[in-house]
Amino acid sequence: MSQMLSPDMTIAAEATAKAKIEVKNLNFYYGQSKALKDITLSLPERSVTAFIGPSGCGKSTLLRVFNRIYELYPKQTAEGQVLLDGQNILDRSQDLNLLRTKIGMVFQKPTPFPMSIYENIAFGVRLYEKISKSEMDGRVEQALKRAALWTEVKDKLNASGLSLSGGQQQRLCIARTVAVKPEVILLDEPASALDPLSTAKIEELIDELQADYTIVIVTHNMQQAARVSKQTAFMYLGELVEFDRTEKIFTSPREKRTQDYITGRFG
Amino acid sequence: MGEHTVASFDEDLGQISRLIRDMGDLAGSMVGGATKALLNSDNALAQRVVSDDAIMDARQRELDDRAITLIAKRQPMADDLRHVVGSIRMAGDLERIGDLAKNIAKRVGTVGLSVTPRDLSHSIDAMAQLVLIQVQGVIEEYAARDAAALAKLRADDERIDVKYTSVFRELLTYMMEDPRNITACTHLLFCAKNLERIGDHVTNIAENAYYVLTGTQLPANRPKQDETAMSAPAA
Repeated sequence: MSQMLSPDMTIAAEATAKAKIEVKNLNFYYGQSKALKDITLSLPERSVTAFIGPSGCGKSTLLRVFNRIYELYPKQTAEGQVLLDGQNILDRSQDLNLLRTKIGMVFQKPTPFPMSIYENIAFGVRLYEKISKSEMDGRVEQALKRAALWTEVKDKLNASGLSLSGGQQQRLCIARTVAVKPEVILLDEPASALDPLSTAKIEELIDELQADYTIVIVTHNMQQAARVSKQTAFMYLGELVEFDRTEKIFTSPREKRTQDYITGRFG
Repeated sequence: MGEHTVASFDEDLGQISRLIRDMGDLAGSMVGGATKALLNSDNALAQRVVSDDAIMDARQRELDDRAITLIAKRQPMADDLRHVVGSIRMAGDLERIGDLAKNIAKRVGTVGLSVTPRDLSHSIDAMAQLVLIQVQGVIEEYAARDAAALAKLRADDERIDVKYTSVFRELLTYMMEDPRNITACTHLLFCAKNLERIGDHVTNIAENAYYVLTGTQLPANRPKQDETAMSAPAA
């Protein structure tokens, strides 16, 4: 019976959690150029979803639609629906600041602010909440602990965020994201600039964070996608080619294009 | 199947495939040689089968080394991963087939043709032919990437089980008729059991090969027709 269900339905049937983000018939344009073609998929709550595919396939574009960060640039438009808990975030009435507190993002290159470790976290919190110094201290500590960085920086919270190693900077960025209590965390190649040990720490962190957050990760490292995610989407030339349970994608994918890509037979 | 962007990856996978084919060919020749030696009391041929087992073991070790190195170096995915892991498992079954053939060959000197009743030789010969067809077939169908043929071949093991049951009963009869047959017949019983076990290893190989080719498992249950456990005389 399960063989007769579409892969998406199989995932939906297996997931105990409800869908956090539902993408429906999404098209995306850079000017005249169509970068996403009729994407429909559903991301389960409190679970890690990986997007894989060759450069230019649209995986980062799709990620950038989820918090509408593309709107910072002219002539980029999205059509269709992206529902966060049933609300279409592409609606013009959507409050962008509110959206971005709910959907945090971490980039490939660590981007700490040129300020102290403490302020890197407090800065974002202050934008949305007025809390006392002691409450803020608690929030900073909690966020750094959540990002598995606390023990390494607790004695130098006033040191510049830029003084940290690359792996620590990336965990600081994750702490900064977590501090504003998001519901979804978008990770765009979060470990590609890091050494194996720092990468392992980030992966361990992703593993822990999925208990509380819905996580979407874009990665070129297929072993990483296989390790950290519960479901994987393979994209090619702006299309969603295959979306299924991660173990299915990496052991016996349905589509030949997926198979060719993950086994290194592409192009 | 297209080629990998990294050509040496194809070479590595190709070497593993060649080793499986070599081991399959050797398994076929060992099973054929062991039963021929048994039926003709051919000690020289039996000796060759015994010494072939060392080659089989060496091939398996080489395959293990290559497969583990390939996993470490290339981190294979999807059909490549199934190919490598499936090959490790198939090599294990082929090595066991070699052991069982060697065990038959070792009994050749003890059994002796003189005490073997003619009808019994026919029965064991017929059973051995069925097994040999299975051993040779499984490697051929895997090389031909014919999943449907592998599924059929796995089901065909039933015929070996049926044959084994009849050989078992036949041997019991000979032993009851004349106690002087007991030594030879007991050895022959082990030989028949070994042939039956070889058939089981072939079904394992067919199941693994099917999974490698399709990514799906054959149903767990296969009809079993070995009734000797039920037909054993009450103590």
